[in-house]
Amino acid sequence: MKRTVPIMLQLILLVSFAEIGNGIQAWLGLVIPGSLIGMALLFFTLKLHIVRLPWVEQGANFLLAELLLFFVPSATGIVQYGPLFDHDGWKIVTVIGVSTILVMTITGLIVDFGMRRKGVPE
Amino acid sequence: MAKILFILMTILVYWLCKKLYKKYTIVIFSPLFTSLFVMVLLLLVLHIHYGNYWSGGKVMAWWLQPATVAFAVPLYKLYPTMKRHALPLSLGVVTGTGISIVSTVLLADILHLTILAPSLAPHSVTTPIAMLTSRSLHGNPTLTAVFVIITALVGVIAGPLIIQHLKIRTSLARGALLGTGAHAMGTSRAFEFGETEGSIASISMILAGILTILFAPLFVPYL
Repeated sequence: MKRTVPIMLQLILLVSFAEIGNGIQAWLGLVIPGSLIGMALLFFTLKLHIVRLPWVEQGANFLLAELLLFFVPSATGIVQYGPLFDHDGWKIVTVIGVSTILVMTITGLIVDFGMRRKGVPE
Repeated sequence: MAKILFILMTILVYWLCKKLYKKYTIVIFSPLFTSLFVMVLLLLVLHIHYGNYWSGGKVMAWWLQPATVAFAVPLYKLYPTMKRHALPLSLGVVTGTGISIVSTVLLADILHLTILAPSLAPHSVTTPIAMLTSRSLHGNPTLTAVFVIITALVGVIAGPLIIQHLKIRTSLARGALLGTGAHAMGTSRAFEFGETEGSIASISMILAGILTILFAPLFVPYL
């Protein structure tokens, strides 16, 4: 049986990695956000088997599954920008729409081309 | 006191919206749209000032930091898949991410939205990373969060149409275009195509996020 760490402890561990990342960022005065440094640290400590997957897996799955909940409060800030969307709404949607279609088309074609050259059937 | 009330209100709305989506699995009922719509409506109807709401909201937004750290887990688990297809995948994601940022900034310029360009630039990537990028570009993270949602809506509609019309047949290409172009929403759509598509979309989403946050601040100011 795989021993797993209770989810609360896993969350504390993930928070610690974020805080260590923030600490490193402040200490070295980096432009990269602390949480991204924390992510890199967790990735490499997992790769080096310093941190084991069962120590963080459930906690990470929980945070990623409820990602939306954590970002609802920020997005709700849109209430302050009603006039902006009244005025420039269609332009904003055009920029995002055209760029999203471009990204998807080009990424899809490049990877598809690369894979077919490698001769991967599906 | 109000703080705790706002937190509970957000959790309740989110939970109900998730239940609704379980019952009616249609894109437009995705909690991404419904929970935001209900929250905005509640704030307007109950005359709650956003600044007051944020006193509780920020407690939850804080969790985006450990959530960003959590991306290390799927990245670690999918590392063998990533390594196997490293060349075509990285070529696609790097080009796609570059195209996203450059086309967004140029289009914003053409449509006289230059002032919004830093907030629009990271719209293709997952929310926590998009908001962090927006902040380091001196954009407005709140607006970026909304732009990310608009991207999700466009992406889940356009993605499958592009796959169909361009006859994208390899699973890898399908996953890559959905993950690079429409972050988590694209990824969940990719899982409907298959397990491989979904995993590749997850990898693409995370890689696109990392690339965006590392490189956007280096060249967006010069576009």
